[in-house]
Amino acid sequence: MPIRSKTFCESYHEDIKLLNTIWSKCWMGLFIVGLLLLPYMTDTYIVYMVNLSCIAVVAAVGLNILTGFTGQISLGHAAFLAIGAYTAAILGEGLGMPFWITLPAGGLVSAFAGILVGIPCLRLKGLYLAMATMSFGVMVEYVLITWKGLTGGERGMYMPEVNISGFVLDTDEKVFYFLVGITALMVIAAKNIVRTRVGRAFIAVRDRDIAAEVMGVDLTGYKVTAFALSSFYAGVAGGMYAYVMGHIHPEHFTLLSSVEYMAMIIIGGLGSILGSIFGAIFIVVVPEVIKLMAQGVETLIPAMQGRYDEEWNIAVFGLLIMLFLIFEPGGLNAIWLRIKTGFKNWPFTY
Amino acid sequence: MYFLELIISGLAVGSLYALIAMGFVLIYKGTGVINFAQGEAIMVAAFIAYYLVTLFGFPFWAAVPLTLVASGLLGGITERLVIRPLLGEPVFSVVMITIGLSIFLRSMAGIVFGHHNYVFPSPFPVEPLHIGGIVLSHNHLWSMIISFSLMLLFFFFFKFSRLGLGMRATANDQDTATLMGISIKRVYALTWGISFVVAGLAGVGLANVMVLNVGLAFVAISAFPAVILGGLESIPGAIIGGLTIGILENLAGGYLDQIIGGGVKDVTPFAVLFLVLMIRPYGLFGTKEVERV
Amino acid sequence: MKNKSGWVTLAVWSCAFFFLGAGWALGAGRGVTADTVELGFVLVKTGPVAALGIPQGNAMVDYMNYINEKGGIHGRKIKVLWEDDGFQAPKSVAAVKKLITRDKVLTVMTTGGTNQTIANMKNIDRYQMPNIPNAMALEFFEPLNPYIFALGALYEWQYQVIVDYINDDLKTEDKRIGVVYTKKEYGKKGLDAVKQRAAKYNIPVVAELVLPTGAVDASSQVLALQKAGANIVITCDVLPPIISFLKTAEKYNYWPQVFGFNWATDDLLVKACGPAAKNYIGAGFVGSWTDETPGIQLVREIAQKYGRQPKLTSLYIGGIGVSMLFAEAMERAGKDLTPETLKKALETLRNYDTGGIFPPVTYTKESHAPAKKVKLFKADVEKKCLVPLTDWRSPKDL
Repeated sequence: MPIRSKTFCESYHEDIKLLNTIWSKCWMGLFIVGLLLLPYMTDTYIVYMVNLSCIAVVAAVGLNILTGFTGQISLGHAAFLAIGAYTAAILGEGLGMPFWITLPAGGLVSAFAGILVGIPCLRLKGLYLAMATMSFGVMVEYVLITWKGLTGGERGMYMPEVNISGFVLDTDEKVFYFLVGITALMVIAAKNIVRTRVGRAFIAVRDRDIAAEVMGVDLTGYKVTAFALSSFYAGVAGGMYAYVMGHIHPEHFTLLSSVEYMAMIIIGGLGSILGSIFGAIFIVVVPEVIKLMAQGVETLIPAMQGRYDEEWNIAVFGLLIMLFLIFEPGGLNAIWLRIKTGFKNWPFTY
Repeated sequence: MYFLELIISGLAVGSLYALIAMGFVLIYKGTGVINFAQGEAIMVAAFIAYYLVTLFGFPFWAAVPLTLVASGLLGGITERLVIRPLLGEPVFSVVMITIGLSIFLRSMAGIVFGHHNYVFPSPFPVEPLHIGGIVLSHNHLWSMIISFSLMLLFFFFFKFSRLGLGMRATANDQDTATLMGISIKRVYALTWGISFVVAGLAGVGLANVMVLNVGLAFVAISAFPAVILGGLESIPGAIIGGLTIGILENLAGGYLDQIIGGGVKDVTPFAVLFLVLMIRPYGLFGTKEVERV
Repeated sequence: MKNKSGWVTLAVWSCAFFFLGAGWALGAGRGVTADTVELGFVLVKTGPVAALGIPQGNAMVDYMNYINEKGGIHGRKIKVLWEDDGFQAPKSVAAVKKLITRDKVLTVMTTGGTNQTIANMKNIDRYQMPNIPNAMALEFFEPLNPYIFALGALYEWQYQVIVDYINDDLKTEDKRIGVVYTKKEYGKKGLDAVKQRAAKYNIPVVAELVLPTGAVDASSQVLALQKAGANIVITCDVLPPIISFLKTAEKYNYWPQVFGFNWATDDLLVKACGPAAKNYIGAGFVGSWTDETPGIQLVREIAQKYGRQPKLTSLYIGGIGVSMLFAEAMERAGKDLTPETLKKALETLRNYDTGGIFPPVTYTKESHAPAKKVKLFKADVEKKCLVPLTDWRSPKDL
């Protein structure tokens, strides 16, 4: 019985399997159990942070499909989240539709917007594309605040709670299961897209688009598809956000949010679904963790109480981002892969 | 008359945008990276100037060169600590590091300089100049003069001086430049230093016009359209882009705001940018990237 | 070097989980033990708008420390936890959940700005936290919210009082109003209120211009106002753009009578603008720093005691006032202190006199509405501060 070391696949099917060892199946099982028991083991604050992370994960996965896999830089992601959120709010609050209409509708309207942006942007590359998408983001923000009849303008819009045929999700714990379910669905879908023909076409567009076109990959079609897909994810994430917050406002979807999503996928690792998850959790959770640690240290050192400038927490966060990238430009995913291969190859180092 | 006033004040604001845009273009030209921390560099320089004048009592004309030196040093140190380790890594990671740097600088500025709103003691007389019925404040006049001088300076620098050529070569193709004997490290350090000096000028200029607080860093975002409009590698493009955006903003504010209802002033540059990019994907003066398979 | 980073990451995450797991829980009754009371509040402390939260937060903490030094309340010392939200609604909700479910405070005294409070309204109800929002909006008290106690005249009322003043007291000939606002809800509400009220008095509104909060330049707005011939300018924007506006107007030699609302009415405006502020009249619902009323004297005393030199004095005064109300309520609630008794105690306030900090405060079981009273202040350029122009007045019934 040969000892497994590195990849050891005997068929195409084995190669693209998601969980191909006993160990990975076990870990995944443990993870799922842990996730399901989370609300019973911690307080509501932590559950709420996980809820926010779920939203960020869906958004980040969407952005990674566009930027990490297809190489189209987008600084307008928050705008697509906004479109999804407002669509869900208009349908949910205004027309009283249930979640299984509002969320997909939000995604679809967003996807449509993505196509509208993707088509004019076909010729743009790199930073110019980033600026074009950023301009789109600014324009959407302007429309949201000005078109009061549709969006409530600067008053924002309210959103009712999720209602599953009479069962209202009114606590963070109940919303948690709902969100985790949707997130799992979207992530698995993304993982599947990425390991099929479509995903490979995306990667081809990213790496050498002229060569890809020569080989028969329809550049236009796949670029637009990437935009549409990523916007769909953003739209669903926006809808989820609306349900969690209960009230949305154009200020929740600014350029800074778009930069945050970009940060999630770069820190997490471009071109990797797992990386998106890592990055999303990092950006959402780490600032709070730093805050908790700072408060813990503050209670231990009485001299600091009342004089500690909380701005330090943010400075540390920025510093962390820089240090991470200096030591591992591939992001969290690269670190994860290194740890994994380290364990896989043990006791060999390579 | 009203129209002319709007144009002139648009040029004045535009020259500030041009200064900011120049900073971006310099770093892109020299190192191929968009520096998301440019706004923070501007803000830090403004604060340094403020404290030199108010805390240490330097007169304005002495504080400005000191601020520029400090900015240049800051640029060099940043490059050495933050950018140098990522030599050769994909552009994305470097851009992300500048984002992290911007967060870091913003909070450090808040800690060191304070979270409040400050007003820079302006050295110029309050009474503006009246040239043929047009009102022009001294501050705006000086920013226009400085922007234009810098444009000429940099134009000749990049075209004729060894260092300028070295920077263009490095931005074009790092490996070949190294093979040709250009010291990449020196080019990088100097690029960042010079760009931060330009940011310092922009900072001093902005401090005179706006209320000084940590939020000053976000003005750089308004200058992005100027950068792209002119094309990422073109210094004259940055100037023209800055002036154009300034004028467009003011015209939109003066005429459209009343009709379409508020806020058009700020969204116009971005809308125009979007349209321009549809027609000319590399900006007005940018160089088309030639790709080979 | 590179492999170590993996272990470092692991170590960091483990520490993080250690801290996440440990919840610093407190005694039985939420936030209350035999000798301490724990209160919390959420107010912006970091980021670009930190200047708006820091003076008020400091004041709220200072006043409670002051009470502690006088022996506390019913033998209990007060501990105050101040959580930052960076002026963002999701962070505000997270902070509230942390304060209530982890730190288990008695109540979260305030939850920051309008958007943040709206996002938290569900939580305020669910966790029963008597709360004085740091923003003014009709939906906070109409319909009645059992746990929200609104404070501060609504933006609409402030602008109605301003337009009343313009009509009744201002001695300008041929009044023409220009409005400068921002596209936030206080901006829009201000604009609408001014237009409605001015229409009742037949005073024309000749221009409506947007001046965003982060504006680099106010030239086009000033020029447009000059062109329209506005000799009265009503602003609906926070302090920094108003400073820009006044200085730009000075540059163009444009000297209309300028009015502003409470967030722009602060001594800092006069200090920052100098002579440019000479025509400024502002509305506010806190007393001014130089008053000689007992409440304001106490404010100055506390500021000196704790070494504070707030730049935005009106916010510091407001913070002392809010803490004063909560302290009084805790005093009235007696030894048995719970969120419910605190709420009932707040509802016993009848024309409670804060010594000139706020207008008289009244809350009943049926109404948690704020006092409909506003004071107008004038800029005194020599003294570099605001001085009262009128007493507390309400909008006229038209």
